[in-house]
Amino acid sequence: MVEIWIDGDRVEAEDGQSVMQAARASGHEIPYFCWHPALSVPGNCRICMVEVEGDDASAGWLDIACNMPIAKGMHIRTDSERVRARRKEMLQLVTLNHPVDCGICDKAGECTLQDYHYRYNGEPSVSRDAKVRATKHHALSERIVLDNERCILCSRCVRFTREISKSHGLGIQHRGDHSLVRAVENGAFERDPYSDNVIDLCPVGALLSRPFLHKARVWYLEPTASICPGCERGCSVDIWHRKKAWTLKRLDPAANARIDRVTPRENPAVNGPWICNKGRDLALVFERPRATAAMVGGEAVELEAAVERARELIAAARHPAALVSSWGSNEELAAFHAAFGTRFACHVKTDHLPEPGERLEDELLIKPDKNPNRRAATALYPSLPDAPRAAFPAGCDLVLVWGEGCDFDALPPGAKVLHLDAWRHPAEFRADVFLPISVQTERSGHYTNFAGVVSRFEACFEKPATVADAEALFAALAMPARVEAP
Amino acid sequence: MTGTKLLMNFEVTPTSHCLADYRARGGYATLDKVLREMRPEEVTKEVATAGILGHGGAAFPAGRKWGVIRLNDEQPHYLCANADEGEPGTFKDRWILEHAPHLLIESMAIAAYALQVRHAFIYIRGEFDLAWRRIAEAVEGAYAAGWLGEGIAGSAFALDIVVYRGAGSYVCGEASGLLTSLEGRKGYPRNRPPRLTVRGLYQMPTVINNVETLTNITGIVRDGAAAFRQVGTAKSPGTQLISISGHVQRPGVYEVEYGYPFAKFIREDCGGVLGSLGLKCVLPGGISTTVLTAAEIEPLVLDHASVGAAGSSLGSGGMVVVAEGTCMVRFLQVLVRFYHHESCGQCTPCREGMGWLHRIVDRIVTGDGQPDDIDRLVAISKANDGTTICGMGDAAGYATVGIIAKYRDEFEYWIRNGRSKYGGRLEALGHEWVREAALHG
Amino acid sequence: MKHLIPEFMAMRRRLPEGFEPSLVLPCLRRIQEDRGHVADEDIDGLAAWLGVPRIQIEEVLSFYTQFRRAPVGRWHLQACRNLSCSMRGAEGVIAHLEHRLGIEPGQTTSDGRYTLSTVECLGSCGTAPVVMVNETYHEDMSPERLDALLESLSR
Repeated sequence: MVEIWIDGDRVEAEDGQSVMQAARASGHEIPYFCWHPALSVPGNCRICMVEVEGDDASAGWLDIACNMPIAKGMHIRTDSERVRARRKEMLQLVTLNHPVDCGICDKAGECTLQDYHYRYNGEPSVSRDAKVRATKHHALSERIVLDNERCILCSRCVRFTREISKSHGLGIQHRGDHSLVRAVENGAFERDPYSDNVIDLCPVGALLSRPFLHKARVWYLEPTASICPGCERGCSVDIWHRKKAWTLKRLDPAANARIDRVTPRENPAVNGPWICNKGRDLALVFERPRATAAMVGGEAVELEAAVERARELIAAARHPAALVSSWGSNEELAAFHAAFGTRFACHVKTDHLPEPGERLEDELLIKPDKNPNRRAATALYPSLPDAPRAAFPAGCDLVLVWGEGCDFDALPPGAKVLHLDAWRHPAEFRADVFLPISVQTERSGHYTNFAGVVSRFEACFEKPATVADAEALFAALAMPARVEAP
Repeated sequence: MTGTKLLMNFEVTPTSHCLADYRARGGYATLDKVLREMRPEEVTKEVATAGILGHGGAAFPAGRKWGVIRLNDEQPHYLCANADEGEPGTFKDRWILEHAPHLLIESMAIAAYALQVRHAFIYIRGEFDLAWRRIAEAVEGAYAAGWLGEGIAGSAFALDIVVYRGAGSYVCGEASGLLTSLEGRKGYPRNRPPRLTVRGLYQMPTVINNVETLTNITGIVRDGAAAFRQVGTAKSPGTQLISISGHVQRPGVYEVEYGYPFAKFIREDCGGVLGSLGLKCVLPGGISTTVLTAAEIEPLVLDHASVGAAGSSLGSGGMVVVAEGTCMVRFLQVLVRFYHHESCGQCTPCREGMGWLHRIVDRIVTGDGQPDDIDRLVAISKANDGTTICGMGDAAGYATVGIIAKYRDEFEYWIRNGRSKYGGRLEALGHEWVREAALHG
Repeated sequence: MKHLIPEFMAMRRRLPEGFEPSLVLPCLRRIQEDRGHVADEDIDGLAAWLGVPRIQIEEVLSFYTQFRRAPVGRWHLQACRNLSCSMRGAEGVIAHLEHRLGIEPGQTTSDGRYTLSTVECLGSCGTAPVVMVNETYHEDMSPERLDALLESLSR
């Protein structure tokens, strides 16, 4: 440990730390653009300058904190007159050629440059010369648009592709004030499954999501903690949706209750500060057309009627089997097990297979099993073998199918089928009883990831009125059927 | 006669750069002696005692730089000769490469021995023509004669020298930019710490010395530090190669003993100012040094202390002579256009600042300058002083601040009147190039 | 670019282990010497052979003034316009070349013979003004010597 002083506070810093790291660890704020805790230190923005106080022999000096090693007894000032003057100068230069088109920039409201301008500068430009022009709407990839005028060349995006995703998909062309961030010409950035992290990394509105472009102002949205179901890593994410106070009656109700965007939620135990692009596209998963009507024999009925019919089937079955969802939450699995675990021959199925061309696995985040909770399910039951017929007991007469991904043709012919699922597809009509259930974003719960880490997701939206939570349904289904006159 | 000659002490002939001629002058005998009789640390001690200062512009004591290298630390060490020579006004390393390439090679071998270097590099700017051919030939000749490669002069010492060509970038003359370029990338300078002598080429301890600095090593080791210190002044021992150009009768490369009178050098040894109007000012050591007026150079001698006390620097030895009647606004315009073109673009103050300086001076020249533009130029320069990754930002600042400090009236004149006080002239009156521009025919 | 690989391997000989990326600049220079410029397939080939990311080569090509990804005229006239050359007539040199060739800096004559560029200091200030033609320095370019140069290039 090394004793240093920051703004008059005594700080115990660790050997090998930079002043930036020691300051942040001890709650002292130093502004920065190019620095990032997970990336290398380029020291190019020059906004993190601090003052090292001199002694009687020499005057103090200013230098960047991100590359300054701590030294025993050093006295650092992060907010002296000299630091403030220098910082203001540097900000003036950062914004010299910045278009300041916040009015049409998606980053407004969460922009580091905006925040620092108001906090540390607050004055208009002193230049009377025209700003340097550059490309304003460059398709960096299908998913990301780049505005080179807003870019402050901090190089975070380039370093991310070099050091984290290792796609080497981005670089900086040319030099001086005509430097331009560009994607490599062979499409490697387009194919980088982590590309969208550069959108979060960008401290200004230079790198923006094309799907999200001009869709919503961020101050109308709020994030809800959730978990990406795209694979068994279960990255922590924030699902952004309209704040309740900002719902608009004039808007299509769907717009008030939709996933506007998904961003990483920092979780050192699971995903650090990153997610892959699949997690960004959760709207494509959760906003598929929903099954909202219970069905008996392919005809829509009231939910209670379908539940009662299901109870009859369950009571009558001699050799029931179940295909358990690998997307079920820990709570849903517990309820299922309490209801059917001993009586049914249960196997865990693969709700989602990898898409053609989807990366199977890598050293960063992506895992091969594209389902969020197989680990918790297989703690209870075995996985469905490759030859599924072998999994069903002899004389199987009822199969409870929970979730997606079931090959209905592989079920024992003659067995009744009770199907619980959230999304519309033709299988609704094949089941003897179909019960629509809620999705992850409509309830709270927990998943257990591949490494055994248990994480919680929160509800973002209300579930549709005609749809039930699977957890409650299992308990209901386990109750005996009413004896009824046919 | 500009004092004792340590480097330009032989007659330049069509073959004087060749190995045979060099051997006849005693070439490679010192390397031989070093390998037989001296330990590496003894060589470094001699260089440190000699007190030779770097000739690339920063005037850092070479022996002190060498002393940071830890012998027997089980890491590879690298040596680079900085032959990028991009500072406008400077062309003296070129003289060495063209006329004394073997002296550089022998000196590098001695330095490599002292620093336990197995691989050394000569980073030469990509544009150099004859200079590159001569040094490349000399390196091959040295290999063929056994002065490079394995088992040099029958000793256990081995050295490879690679001549590495740049491709057009001023910042590759900055030591850390040079290394980044040598690693096969854009020549982006690096922040310090770490020092390059700790983590340099591919993160290994590296010494980078200017070509002229290195070329002196053979003489220092051959004749001893004491003999070297007999030449020059106490704080600036030895000599400096000065490349002089601009409005001067006899431009070229001259070896000057430190302490030689400044004005006498220009007036007598270089034939004096071109044209009849007399001397206006001088850039003593390249465009990145503060301009000195004719009056200011009168009492000075050519050494670091004297020029330093006058508020300027000998820099890279690229002296530019300016005659009266030259427009200093257009003069600055050429400089800021250059800095803008060469900024690597990494750090905020230089990337934005160089373009800003250039645009303001361009606007003054087109007649749209405003009075507060002058203070703005100074403010931008100050914002680049001590805030940048490398010295280029600072250099542009010194150049700008110096010219404005001493010739503010010309800027004010142009802003007030919409034209130059001196007709926008950059050439010496009576020595214009002319042809097409004036004739329109 | 494949036919140049034996030369590239020779370049590698004197480099220490692990210095392969350093070959980017010398290999690009050799490719450009051979073809006249660096083509897209050269970039793919070199990246694969050296094992460096393609983006590194793209960046290098855009950063250094001497590299080009498109051909230039048979004679590339590069006139220095930095300080000492400007003080000894560079503006006249450039104007004269513009007039004689009928093009501006950055352009190539329609017959593909001449490309004109302005460049920064070439390190030849003592013999200003200087024009570099392809790889060769032409120094002390008085009006007479400039005309003689143009004459010799036209043959």
